Amino acid sequence: MSVFNPQENYFALLAVPQAYELDISALTSSYRALQRDAHPDRFASGSERDLRMAVQQSSFINEAYETLVSPTRRAAYLLKLAGVNSDMSSTTFQDPEFLMQQMQLREELSELQDAKDPEQALDVFYRDLDQAAKSQKEAFSQSYNQQQFDLALAAYAKLQFLEKLRSEAELKESELLDY
Amino acid sequence: MALMQISEPGQTPEPHQRKLAVGIDLGTTNSLVASVRNAHADTLADLGGEHLLPSAVYYAETGETLVGAAALAGASADPSNTLMSVKRFMGRSFADCTAASGAKMLPYELLDQGQDMVKIRTRAGDISPVQVSAEILRSLAARAEETLGGELTGAVITVPAYFDDAQRQATKDAAKIAGIHVLRLLNEPTAAAVAYGLDQQDEMAIAVFDLGGGTFDISVLQLTKGVFEVLSTGGDSALGGDDFDHAIADWFVAATGLENLDMFQQRSLLTAARQAKEALSDAETVNVVLGDLSQSLSREQFNSLVDPLIDTAIRACKRALRDAKLRSEDIVNVVMVGGSTRVPRVRERVAQWFGREPLVDLDPDRVVALGAALQADQLVGNRSGDEMLLLDVIPLSLGIETMGGLTEKVIHRNTTIPVAMAQEFTTFKDGQTAMAIHVVQGERELVEDCRSLARFELQGIPPMVAGAARIKVKFQVDADGLLQVFATEESTGVESHIAVKPAYGLNDTDIADMLKSSWEAAADDKDARALREQQIEADSLLQALSAALLQDGEAMLSEAEQQDLLAKMETLHHEREQGTVASIAKHIEIVGKASELFAERRMDASINQALAGRRVDEL
Repeated sequence: MSVFNPQENYFALLAVPQAYELDISALTSSYRALQRDAHPDRFASGSERDLRMAVQQSSFINEAYETLVSPTRRAAYLLKLAGVNSDMSSTTFQDPEFLMQQMQLREELSELQDAKDPEQALDVFYRDLDQAAKSQKEAFSQSYNQQQFDLALAAYAKLQFLEKLRSEAELKESELLDY
Repeated sequence: MALMQISEPGQTPEPHQRKLAVGIDLGTTNSLVASVRNAHADTLADLGGEHLLPSAVYYAETGETLVGAAALAGASADPSNTLMSVKRFMGRSFADCTAASGAKMLPYELLDQGQDMVKIRTRAGDISPVQVSAEILRSLAARAEETLGGELTGAVITVPAYFDDAQRQATKDAAKIAGIHVLRLLNEPTAAAVAYGLDQQDEMAIAVFDLGGGTFDISVLQLTKGVFEVLSTGGDSALGGDDFDHAIADWFVAATGLENLDMFQQRSLLTAARQAKEALSDAETVNVVLGDLSQSLSREQFNSLVDPLIDTAIRACKRALRDAKLRSEDIVNVVMVGGSTRVPRVRERVAQWFGREPLVDLDPDRVVALGAALQADQLVGNRSGDEMLLLDVIPLSLGIETMGGLTEKVIHRNTTIPVAMAQEFTTFKDGQTAMAIHVVQGERELVEDCRSLARFELQGIPPMVAGAARIKVKFQVDADGLLQVFATEESTGVESHIAVKPAYGLNDTDIADMLKSSWEAAADDKDARALREQQIEADSLLQALSAALLQDGEAMLSEAEQQDLLAKMETLHHEREQGTVASIAKHIEIVGKASELFAERRMDASINQALAGRRVDEL
């Protein structure tokens, strides 16, 4: 079994270019190829030691893949590689336009339950969220490529807000639709 | 021709070198063993030609232990020594089992072992569910060795995707007792998809709807050129065909006004109920008969009895699809598993909800064992050139307890396994040298609402000020879904490690409930979290002030000032115990204000100290 360096860059491990723009299908197929060799199932009748190593390597590959496949986690990882601290606890927004958009989305979310067709209203809301996230992803990608890490960090923070909003919407969805 | 055969060692052994491996479906009601012969998976029959082995063990008066149909024969005559459906008790404490639905009509006696796994009283002694399962596994392994004519290399044993760490560990323990090498614990739905050969397809999303005797599982899988990825799993580990039987039994009891049934009558009634359910798959009306009592049951009545149970299953389907980020129209195939999917009403409702006819070609009772056999065959290296890879997910989130009884999730549910995740924690008090680590499994925010998996202590943390130590806790979940935890103090490398041997503190329904209520109760949790946070803030303020008072109180405050501050601290302490978020916040502010003067004097004193002996131009 090939030996991984646990310090290895996730992009290098999964054989994709280090950038925010990512070919997800290329990422996924090299992920699967790696797992085919490294998964503990390959060592089911092997030694304890082989099995233990397989568990570690396979875990590492899973972590790498899940980090890169998620747009938000991928952004955080790229910032980390660039030496930018992406811990959001101290970040404040100076962007009135985004704050306004946030407020609108929050209002939309809180009014969902009164909609005539909440399920359809939810769909519209998710679409709005996706739209907002898409433009932040583009902003992140562009800023990151130009090494404008302050701007990239701001876009990442906004992505996180949008993600939080999405999970709140999902919660609301389960309340509304009695899942 | 032998010279022409070129193969990698261990990859394509010659026929006589084939290793014997089996797949075992250890079910609630029935169990099966299957193997691959001549590239074809089939279940193995006993000498009488029966494939299904009833999951029943009878401890006879003669001292003999009977398994399967032979055990069932004794069920009506000697119910308290005939153990059935013990899968429900695997890895479960007494409190869990009695709280679980269906346990109320148990014909044998469960023994309370406190936090440990429940035991069952029999004439052969107090027996653990693990031992009962081991008897069933032993019987299946013996059948396989006789049929296949050799010693087994190992077995793939299936478990509900929903099984938590304790239940998986108990299953593995049972195999160990039976002397079987476990190649892999495989999720039942994954096995079913393998059995349908769906791994040969290029790319599609499928749902596996598995309604067995005692558990319901829904899994959403993505298949891509031989790779099975479980995208999400859900279900209810206390919902199954047994509940359909109980629904009929309850209806019968209500309709006839029967009271105080003894164990014998209960068993007979449940048998009659099961027969009625099975007959209603073809007939429009059946008579349920118990002794000289008889009631007619139409299929329509039966449908309305079981519809609420099916509703529960459909809700779980919705949740699983959402977790998988798919819509019902994205699902290309729905695989039906478990004997209860023979019930026409179940098929009808599933077809309706998914908008497509489900796959029912393979025997729903055998499909899981067949898939397990295919996987076992590959794991021992008999299937060369076959690239099948099964990637599973963890069914429930893992976390650890943080200050104030809150859960910090370290691994979220539906994360692909194996997985390792690390999280850093720090000390709460100055000079703290030990840290208790409490591992929990579940979705809720408060520790008390989750299942406690293990507690251990990391000792020998070098004394530092609060917040300076860096404790890294690493969770490692293997491909069977079993957990190990490591903790290290980063600056000194002090290490602690445990393989989690679970405390059995959560019942079957709890898992389903925990998932369900984590959505419903998110609002409650938010309030609870806010309260805990205020309490923690009150605690740190009180602690810091007490320490400061002890050190400098006498020197820097007058007697009256000290009394005033202490009284306000006392009130805050009282509010911390009994008050609301708002009242605690208010008193934190009051104490904060009252201590400002004290804080200023301490600040001055420390500045004076720092400045003592220095000249202004040095600064």
